[in-house]
Amino acid sequence: MSNTGLNINISDGDRTLVHIDNFSFSTNKITFLFGESGIGKSMISKAVYGLLDPDELQIKINNKAYQSYLNLPVTRQIKQNGFFVFQEPSSHLNPLLKIEDQLNEGAIDENLDEKSILQYLWDTSDDTAIKKIVDIYPRPYRPSGGEKQRILLAMAFKKINFALQNSDSSSSNLFVFDEPTGSLDNHFRNLFLQLLFDKFNQKSFTSLFITHDYSIISWIMQHHKNMMDHIDFKELSRIDSTKVKLEYFAPDQYLNWLNNIKKATVQSAETGTSKSEVLTINKHFHIYDRAYTIYSDPEFKQPSDLHINKGEMVYLKAGSGVGKTTLAKIIMGLQLADQFEFEISGLNLSDQTKLKLWKKFIWGKKIGMVFQHADEALNLEANVKESLDGLKSKKLRGDFLR
Amino acid sequence: MTFKKKLIEHLLSLILITSLLGTFLYFTIENKNIQNTQKNERIEPYLGLSFIDFDNPFDRALLLDVLNTYKPGQQSAHESLIKTIEQYRKTNLIEGMEEAYRKEQLSSKKWQQLSMMYAKFILIYIFVMILTYYGVQTFGILRFIRKQQNRKSHLLSFFQQLVTKPKYKRFKDYLNYYLQTILHLLKSIVIALAYFILFAPAYVIAYSLKTQLNTNTIFFMIILAVISNGLLITYTNKFYTFLVTESRKGYVQTAIVKNLNMSYKRTQKSAINYASIFNVRKHFPMHVFQHIYINARYQYLQTIKEQASFLISGLIIIEMALNIQGHFSYELLKQLLYKNYDIVTVIILGIFYIVKLTEIFTDWLTYKESIKYENVEPVGAK
Amino acid sequence: MRNVLLKIKQYSIYIYSQKDKFWLIVWLGILAITFIWNILFLNKPALRLIIDGFLNTLYISILVVIFSFILGWIIGLVVVRFESSPFQLPYFLLTFVLNLIRSIPQIVGILIGYIGITYLITANIVNNAWLIMTTMALVISLFIFNEVIDLIRERINHFKKLDFYNAMKVCGISENRIINFDILWKNSRIHILNKLIAIFGSAIFLQCTIDFIVSVGLSTQVSAVSLPTTLGSLLAKIDSKQDILAIGNTLMNPSYFSHIFFEHLQGVTVAFLIVFTLLSVYKISNGFSERNRL
Repeated sequence: MSNTGLNINISDGDRTLVHIDNFSFSTNKITFLFGESGIGKSMISKAVYGLLDPDELQIKINNKAYQSYLNLPVTRQIKQNGFFVFQEPSSHLNPLLKIEDQLNEGAIDENLDEKSILQYLWDTSDDTAIKKIVDIYPRPYRPSGGEKQRILLAMAFKKINFALQNSDSSSSNLFVFDEPTGSLDNHFRNLFLQLLFDKFNQKSFTSLFITHDYSIISWIMQHHKNMMDHIDFKELSRIDSTKVKLEYFAPDQYLNWLNNIKKATVQSAETGTSKSEVLTINKHFHIYDRAYTIYSDPEFKQPSDLHINKGEMVYLKAGSGVGKTTLAKIIMGLQLADQFEFEISGLNLSDQTKLKLWKKFIWGKKIGMVFQHADEALNLEANVKESLDGLKSKKLRGDFLR
Repeated sequence: MTFKKKLIEHLLSLILITSLLGTFLYFTIENKNIQNTQKNERIEPYLGLSFIDFDNPFDRALLLDVLNTYKPGQQSAHESLIKTIEQYRKTNLIEGMEEAYRKEQLSSKKWQQLSMMYAKFILIYIFVMILTYYGVQTFGILRFIRKQQNRKSHLLSFFQQLVTKPKYKRFKDYLNYYLQTILHLLKSIVIALAYFILFAPAYVIAYSLKTQLNTNTIFFMIILAVISNGLLITYTNKFYTFLVTESRKGYVQTAIVKNLNMSYKRTQKSAINYASIFNVRKHFPMHVFQHIYINARYQYLQTIKEQASFLISGLIIIEMALNIQGHFSYELLKQLLYKNYDIVTVIILGIFYIVKLTEIFTDWLTYKESIKYENVEPVGAK
Repeated sequence: MRNVLLKIKQYSIYIYSQKDKFWLIVWLGILAITFIWNILFLNKPALRLIIDGFLNTLYISILVVIFSFILGWIIGLVVVRFESSPFQLPYFLLTFVLNLIRSIPQIVGILIGYIGITYLITANIVNNAWLIMTTMALVISLFIFNEVIDLIRERINHFKKLDFYNAMKVCGISENRIINFDILWKNSRIHILNKLIAIFGSAIFLQCTIDFIVSVGLSTQVSAVSLPTTLGSLLAKIDSKQDILAIGNTLMNPSYFSHIFFEHLQGVTVAFLIVFTLLSVYKISNGFSERNRL
């Protein structure tokens, strides 16, 4: 697999979804695969691992039917000894089986040091905290996205332990991590990477790590430079709408480029004039039986309203599940709060305000919102013109696209 | 909506329909009584005179004389009264024979009859419900497995084998080949016939078998209710759709990468064998299908309500269309025909109660399952 | 010639792979064969009755589909609107009524509706055959349209959970457009079409059954009233019933099989048309779902 690249073509009926020539990665190395969203990283990796359904898609590998690729001894070994951590943790856990049961079935139904893996990934030595998570059925809001992601990672590490214990050096394995850090904050991301490298150092294995997170490069260069001989950085890029190519990605050049970027200087239109307030959020709000307070100091001693002035850009940073999106949704009138108060351009709104007001004065007029998941936030069955045609302002409608 | 809210809604509709139909029932009975009273009001006192034999002309003349003596000056009215009595008795004799057969009251005897029929109806309903619940899952799984095995249709295989010219050296091989071809044809005929039976309305099947079998037995009714009217095939298809939808979900892929068995070949050792498929408590250990099955089964719980309504419709159709005497729905049809709307009301109310109770049971079942998966602590638990 | 054969073969494979189209062709093809067979071997008055019965059945079933669609769409939207309103009483009342209709077995509801129709006919309020059939369709659709409402609510509620709905709303796009255009038209029309195909099957089944029951069970009450001929009422005729009895006869006496298609053609054709149409509609609906991955 390291020397001979795979020519992969995946189509759905007459429509080619992705085509790549010479897709390769080194065995017994960790390959970080970068590339823009939607380019086909996941699909290509699934094809290589042998997870695509030949009845639903037309897949050819090296110009042969997918079934013959699936029948190859090496593909069978990959599936037997490897693991695939999928991108969306929520949909990849069975909602009707306890997490504990899901962590202990199939090839990972053995004593594979599960406890220490979970403790490491949760950064805790407290057994009860872990027990609370594994003793439940996965639901949309519980455990959180980050916790579900770590459950899937724990499964992968159990399988790695299994491979470390059992496989001989001649048998192939492949551990694919598809955007495994998407729901993790930096602390837990780094813990996961640390564990991955630790396991790799015990005995090497082949891993394909798909990510958008280029900041991983800096972290690896800072903390694991000694691993560089065992790591490849590669990037997928487009040749045309369906064809993609794989190229090596030079981490040093990337870091140099990063260091040389000049800090953007913001020229406020309001310089020299008095600040005009656009949005003021009352320091206290209450939602889902939880009280929140906004503080103006890092020590959380001085409660203060949040003011956003014209021309300002505010970066709201907090851990996963704290309520960043919820706050945005309350402002947008998409989520009902038990207690909330804010003012936008002279318009006072609170938890008592009727929804009609948002409809009349806010939506499409005063505030806009860009949502987290592009796939969910767009009408996938409508083209751009059709989507824009619904806008009230004639100027913004899709006619200009003609 | 929580179970409590659903239960309140069910109870409210039970109360509303009971009050509506109860009121209708009251007025129907009242109306019947008033009609009878009005009809007899004028002649009733005389009809009750036991010492007068209205068949005897002498007695009739005697009554006329007595009336003329005690109420003089109304001779013509008295003559008309006697004529009315004569006419009433004549028509009453003819109509009475018919009416006695047609017109029925909600007497205690009728209540008793209806209760027996109702109990029979419920019993058949429960049996058919259990059988179809099992059948739907079993056939749905069989169809899903067949699909996973990529099995070709027998008819297609027959045509393909017929068109292909085999090149064998031995006659025996040729014989085998063509026997297999014929076997494909026979299987496709059997399947086609099975489809025809499954889609046939019950009355088509029953009438075609009427000369061969006693189609009025409860056993035949149960079999007919399970296989006909499209009930089994429609809900098998629904369950199959749930299986297909679930098989495309992400957690199935996670199960695959955990190396759970994903082969659908039926072998003795495999979790996918006839014993596990036909078992009442279906279980497919260490197989990806177990994940798919439990999710499809859970989703199917909500469909039971719909299935029950379909099934009750089917039972009513069978009893009505086959004119099965002494059965609840046939009684409904008969009473509709004889315009005994009080009895009709009671029967409709009875059917409504079965549907509602099934709905309440299904909602409770779904709620019970869902609180488990929603990680809700049972009431009283710490 | 070879090219033509090859093209036919390729086209056949293509059609066979799209099961809905394949079964539509099979249904129409077999109907045509049945029609030709009946022209050859069935007497003219009986043939006329079968054609009338079949066309009337199709007319009523198509109308049921149209009525169910219109009623389902409109009431579905009203339910969704009430559901999201802070004032919940209208929502409760409407769903209460809808659930009540759901709790009445379809066949009982339609039977009561038919008694209403006979009253309208005897009172000379409805007397035209087309109007009677339209009223029959309306009665049947009253007990089916809940299925369309359920689908519409399910689709709208599914999309409301996604960011897509909120994202469009905060852009100032009207809710009417999001629901009707983006959710129902753009994302659900295939689901709705599939539901309507299934409703077409249910309508044929219910209509044939009710006509059969009415003709058999309520014959004395309804005989004074002339309801249009349908496949169900044709099947209830004594000669049709005898024809069906003959099918059972062949189980004990297989040599009688050939007689069925000549001497008992009326009843057998009617029964076949009902069952085969139900089977074909089921196959078309399944094929449609499969092709569109519903």
